[in-house]
Amino acid sequence: MRSLSELRLRVSETTDLTPTVRRFVLRDPWGAALPDHEPGAHVVISTPAGHKRAYSLVDPGTREYVVCVRRQSDGRGGSASMHDEVQVGTELLVSKPANRFPLLPSPKYLFIAGGIGITPIRAMVHRLRVQGHTGVRLLYLTQSAEETPFLQEFPGSVHHSDGGLLDLWPHLADPDDDVRVYCCGPAPLMHTVRTLTAHWRASRIHTEQFTTESGGFSPFTAVWAPTGLRVEVPAHLSLLDALRRGGVPVESSCEAGVCGTCRLAVLDGEAEHDSVLACVSRAASPQIVVGPHHHFRKDSS
Amino acid sequence: MVTSGGRVRELFVHPVKGLSAQPLAQVALRPGEGIPHDRVFALARPDGRYHAGTREGLPKQEFFALVSDHRLSGVDARFDAGTEVLVARVAGHEVLKADLGTDEGVGEAMRFFARLLDLPAGMVPVLAREPGRRFTDATAAGDRPMNWISMINLSSVRDLESRTGATVDPKRFRANVLVDGLPAWSEVDLIGEEFGLDGVRVRAVRQTRRCAATEVGPGTGRRDLPVVSLLQRTYGHQFMGIYLEVLTAGVVRTGGEVVV
Repeated sequence: MRSLSELRLRVSETTDLTPTVRRFVLRDPWGAALPDHEPGAHVVISTPAGHKRAYSLVDPGTREYVVCVRRQSDGRGGSASMHDEVQVGTELLVSKPANRFPLLPSPKYLFIAGGIGITPIRAMVHRLRVQGHTGVRLLYLTQSAEETPFLQEFPGSVHHSDGGLLDLWPHLADPDDDVRVYCCGPAPLMHTVRTLTAHWRASRIHTEQFTTESGGFSPFTAVWAPTGLRVEVPAHLSLLDALRRGGVPVESSCEAGVCGTCRLAVLDGEAEHDSVLACVSRAASPQIVVGPHHHFRKDSS
Repeated sequence: MVTSGGRVRELFVHPVKGLSAQPLAQVALRPGEGIPHDRVFALARPDGRYHAGTREGLPKQEFFALVSDHRLSGVDARFDAGTEVLVARVAGHEVLKADLGTDEGVGEAMRFFARLLDLPAGMVPVLAREPGRRFTDATAAGDRPMNWISMINLSSVRDLESRTGATVDPKRFRANVLVDGLPAWSEVDLIGEEFGLDGVRVRAVRQTRRCAATEVGPGTGRRDLPVVSLLQRTYGHQFMGIYLEVLTAGVVRTGGEVVV
């Protein structure tokens, strides 16, 4: 079934960038403009075999969407279906773009891309180059020159593991609040970057796992109804912690979603669950308005 | 009845509340006192109730700790009680070396943790340190509980693992003493009783109710297992481990016998 947020797009062009990475250009069959998107955005494509897979958009613009797909020989069939069953003229159901990996303003950037994880990073680096931003560093880690999409675009930035693994520590040893680190690539690379940035501000570290099961929490905005205070709740903080940091005293006990002490009333917006326990619950909408939950406690202990 | 077979497997001290466990080969205990240097420091919230000279026990919410600040577990911290130097490492690389005996060292360490905790500009934690006091969770219950030592029965942790299928690192519970060789959950029957810990007499005083700090994987800086929910679902309670009061003086060593 096609939902209102889906587009039916036709493949107008395919190109093999490497022996395993193929580029697909998707257009509206009647040439209509497509919804605009920012660097870091992805679309979810329903493959001919029925998988739903998220792919980053690598080029800006509304005339066409461009995605690059690496064939995962040990994967679950999504990339194989894209490589084997999609050709020029194939029509695919494609979601409107969403962005869980937005490029935020910063004096300096360190981009770390692993393999096909270059796709959202490339869109970001291109945007910053167009803007004339000078504080951009890129570490692009791939297996070999042959398996490096967009090799010619990033001279001096590419490191091949067939020449030995790059030690990331010298690049991450000194935390810099003026640097945002963006990392996209396979799970072990993301894990390494998170481990090596344990002493950085968490808000400066942005990672996107290039698989559909990336999970993780999404940031949202909470409004404290009694005062109108707006509190940003980043992915790494609970609603409870974010409210407290904003100076809102919310009572809590177990902080594990069990005891109910930190229950809040939802006055506007949507929550993941029917009732909101500030220690574990998150919003299902970009903004949620919450206030004290007035109730009689059965015990006062 | 005297039975044995239990052994002290590991001993830990946590000099700074919320930071790394430091293994001990042995520890000298004294009646009514806790593990020397255990939780003698804490990272207090600058807008909270702690200020220099506070002698009352404060709840854990007044401090930055794993219950709310899981990123503290992403660095390996080592405090040397002899030199008062705190060293923090990331993946084996030294990222902090601060003498907590000097104002400069304390300032350096607090700036380090302000960044790690991603506190707003200008906000830094306050290093809480009060002679003769500890910042254990039990401190909020009074000065005697402040000096209780915490014990985990490894058989009970394995019972939780086998009933849930989850791998539960016993270090999640941040206890001072890990014992093995006792039946699972037999520690609960010890409440109110005296027993021997490598020759030191102790009294089991209370079960330990677990909080969300146990969700944080040791050394990972992430919440990766809902331990409190697992306990609640599996047993209908949130306890793991017990608190002990030390009754006699003596040295407890790893490998020492537990006689109940």
